[in-house]
Amino acid sequence: MSLPILLGLLALVPLLSVPLTGFLGRAAGWPIGVIFLGLAGAMVPSAIRVANGDVITWHAAWVPELGLDLALRLDGLSVIFIALALVIGALVFFYSTTYFTKGNQRGFYVIMTGFTFAMVALTVSDSLVLMFLTWELTSLASFLLIARSGHAGEAASMRTMLLTFIGGLALLAAVALIMARTGTSTFSQAVASPVWGSDPAFTGLIAVLVAAAGFSKAAQFPFHLWLPDAMAAATPVSAYLHAAAVVKAGIYLLFRFSIIFHSTLIWNVLLVGLGLFTSVLAAWFAMQQVDLKKLMAYSTVSQLGLITATIGVGTSFAIAAALLHTIAHACFKSGLFMVVGLIDHQAGTRMIDRLPALRRAMPVTFTVALVGTASMAGVPPLLGFISKENIFGALLDAPGPTVAGPILLAVAGLGAVLTFLYCGKIVTGAFLDGPEPSRPVTEARWVTILPAATPILVGIPLAFTINQFAPIIEQAVVASHAVTSHTAAFHLWHGVNLELIVTMLVFVGGGLLLPRRASLRHLVERPLFTLDGAGVLGAITRWLERVGVRAAGLVRADNPARHVAAIIVTLTAVLAVGSVLLWTGGHVPPLTPGVNQVVDVGVLVIVTGSVVALVRAESRIGATVLLGGVGVAMTVQIFLLGAADVGLTQLLVEILTVLVIMLVLRKLPQEFTIKKRPQQLRNAVIAIGAGLASALAAWTVIGRRERSEVAQWYLSQAPQVTGGDNIVNVILVELRALDTFGELAVLGMAGIAILGILATIPRALLDPDPDPDSAATHVARPKIEIGEEGSPSHRALEDVEANTEPLRLLQTVLVPILVVISAVLFWRGHNEPGGGFIAALVAACAVAYVYLAKAHDRPVSRPSTPVALIVGGIIVALGTGLLGYLGGTFLEPLHVTILGTKFASSMVFDVGVYAAVLGLVILAFNVLGADREAKR
Amino acid sequence: MILALTIGVLVAGGTYLLLQRSLVRIAFGVGVLSHAVNLFLLTSGVPAYRGEPLANRMDPATAADPLPQAFVLTAIVITLAVTVILLALAVVGRNDDTMRMPESGEERDR
Repeated sequence: MSLPILLGLLALVPLLSVPLTGFLGRAAGWPIGVIFLGLAGAMVPSAIRVANGDVITWHAAWVPELGLDLALRLDGLSVIFIALALVIGALVFFYSTTYFTKGNQRGFYVIMTGFTFAMVALTVSDSLVLMFLTWELTSLASFLLIARSGHAGEAASMRTMLLTFIGGLALLAAVALIMARTGTSTFSQAVASPVWGSDPAFTGLIAVLVAAAGFSKAAQFPFHLWLPDAMAAATPVSAYLHAAAVVKAGIYLLFRFSIIFHSTLIWNVLLVGLGLFTSVLAAWFAMQQVDLKKLMAYSTVSQLGLITATIGVGTSFAIAAALLHTIAHACFKSGLFMVVGLIDHQAGTRMIDRLPALRRAMPVTFTVALVGTASMAGVPPLLGFISKENIFGALLDAPGPTVAGPILLAVAGLGAVLTFLYCGKIVTGAFLDGPEPSRPVTEARWVTILPAATPILVGIPLAFTINQFAPIIEQAVVASHAVTSHTAAFHLWHGVNLELIVTMLVFVGGGLLLPRRASLRHLVERPLFTLDGAGVLGAITRWLERVGVRAAGLVRADNPARHVAAIIVTLTAVLAVGSVLLWTGGHVPPLTPGVNQVVDVGVLVIVTGSVVALVRAESRIGATVLLGGVGVAMTVQIFLLGAADVGLTQLLVEILTVLVIMLVLRKLPQEFTIKKRPQQLRNAVIAIGAGLASALAAWTVIGRRERSEVAQWYLSQAPQVTGGDNIVNVILVELRALDTFGELAVLGMAGIAILGILATIPRALLDPDPDPDSAATHVARPKIEIGEEGSPSHRALEDVEANTEPLRLLQTVLVPILVVISAVLFWRGHNEPGGGFIAALVAACAVAYVYLAKAHDRPVSRPSTPVALIVGGIIVALGTGLLGYLGGTFLEPLHVTILGTKFASSMVFDVGVYAAVLGLVILAFNVLGADREAKR
Repeated sequence: MILALTIGVLVAGGTYLLLQRSLVRIAFGVGVLSHAVNLFLLTSGVPAYRGEPLANRMDPATAADPLPQAFVLTAIVITLAVTVILLALAVVGRNDDTMRMPESGEERDR
């Protein structure tokens, strides 16, 4: 199967898992796992080709303008990591089908399958950019999976994200620098660049960046703390994370870049030094744990430290050993995590203190755990023994000073003793020590045990047949190491040598210490340091937050007027100075004749009067009326400028605005509280300055030219191009539909923002009742004689039902008329003033009327209706846009003739406009117009 | 030019309201400022040409520039959306611009 098809199919699995979890619930793990195994099987022919020395590549132009290629490459290294990701993934999915409580577990399956996709894509990516993207994708996926586990996972997931994203940034910097220096975005070409040899400083820098990235993912010191944290996630997640996915992505990166850096000193020192340090430190931490899962987590950190150090040795022999240990670790660690899950499930705890001796109650689990820990401890004849022997050999033969090898071996040996001890602690703590179970504990079901046992038990035959896989490991070594003199061959028995002696010493030391565990425990479990990594990270974060608050305090002000004034004063200065410069420089052409018309003076007078009264108004209702006055005057001005569509829109919007304002005003005091004089004087000065500058600027730039070429083109060509006579409308829905689409998105966002704002506010503050104490809200009842109680005049004014009766009577006539008008306006929009916007606003007026005619403050629709209208409108518009690709580009209008009438796809687009605008207005009435009880 | 004066008046009034404490007045200010900006945009199509740009009945010699009209049309609807957001914010909490002070005779505003 070719690589793009593999990736394409893998990318479909997360989508597929949505319906699968819907139908099958947690059992969706079965088909998903089978798909993964099937894909792994389909890749076998390619893997065989790779084992024979082939490298399968595929590439396509991605962003040719930037010289970016989408390059994929399958070599030995990729094959091994893909196999781990898919096969371990499948087992984890099988395990999940019974591990989780019943329920669809959709989030788990979607993110986990996405995770697998990212992991596989990372390992086949030969494009540096794709490598970075998929790398970040695995970070995101692990963050989401940990965050999913509820409250306990919150802080842990944030720490995971922080630490892995630091590594992501390092990788980004490395990728960018490599692309800049080598001139290629393809990894395999960048490797061949002469830069690496000629510029040691550059090579060293990239080596450090890549190592930092790899360390962050592979949980190496000082980034190690996120991995034990991550055990807050569900057990299947941990099993996958630790064995095949995120942390292995870090290891993969180190392998991948090893081809460049294997003999770069700083790379060797960093990897070997920090790797071994992490290995010993984490082994000690593991030994301290009483929580089996946390113990496992630290053990992963320790094992990965050993792998990292071995990669850092840089010989082809070391790379082969590290690869083998990666495979061995993936097998035993995935299994062991699932075993811990079994124990946790069956015994109800995973704390060693509380666990009874489970060997009789769970003999199968006991056997599996025994084999798994034996492999981890390096006991023959298991895979872990072979890989550890090889690692010892590789460390012993490390290039450099002659003392280096023995010292490294000694440190690794110390780590191995600790490993032996914590492995012993797992077995004794869970199965041997403690009282017999006080309540009956049984084995888990076979379907749950099998996926857990498989990777561990597979390790036994694998130890004897590992040489069958030597060719593919050989090819992986070739991919990680430019020259290879090493023919991979692994043996269970290779005679008595120093490695074997060290192993024997490890067993003897471990075997002597393990029986004394009871007396040693309190020594070991004392905290090694007074502060832990999470505490340090927390302190750093808190300190940064304090610095941030201080820095922001320098410029922050709660009063928006301060910020607004600064902007306005600056704008005033720019407009004034700019205009003066244009005038004094003689750059201002004469006015085009006909710009000034007498009718404009009428509008000016009305606008001036209304605005002056508006700014002085103390009554809110008065101000609303005056605002409406300004709007109507503007409408007249717009019509005078020959913009019928705009004028209609303005008029309708003005009506709706006034209505919405009235909804709000019911809940507010009758009058504004006007601020003290000095501030108002300052505001007035700023405002008049801004007005003068704007008038001057408008005077300077407007009406001093002919119509633009664009205008001429639209006027002469638009009707022919689009077949519509209303040029403004065809610009909106065809010629510049992308603008309109953007505007719909803004409308949609406004709607969602309103809902979002209101959702974050406590009920008590939301939509308050008018303040009964406030004198300002107290409305004096008008002194009108309204007749006897029961008389028509009394009922009409005092009874809400009777009061709104005329409106309701008229509603039956008026609303249908408005709907018809709306439809007509919509239909004729292409040729006459009208179109989606105006038609929707007319329909919105009908909605407003229905609201007003109700006797009580009730929403005009169900809460979901406006959201559906807005989202539906945007989807319709987007769909029309995508349909446009049939005609060539996004939003390209298509024209068809049905039954002699010409239809354009832009009409469908206009339906989207219609729905979104109507949705927003309905939303406004629902949110602002309904009382609290009705909204619940 | 008369339209420049109209724009100036609208900017001055809108700015003044924008600098107020009351969110309702700020919303009004945004509305008035939007009028100013819309008018400015509309007149960039040269107000000497005031014919309606309807192909079936226009005189190409006097037809107005349709492009600014299309821009302003969408801008007006967005103004509506912005106004609704501001008003929704204004209604959150008990009072828009007043402070609830103890009944000891201090000034209500600040």
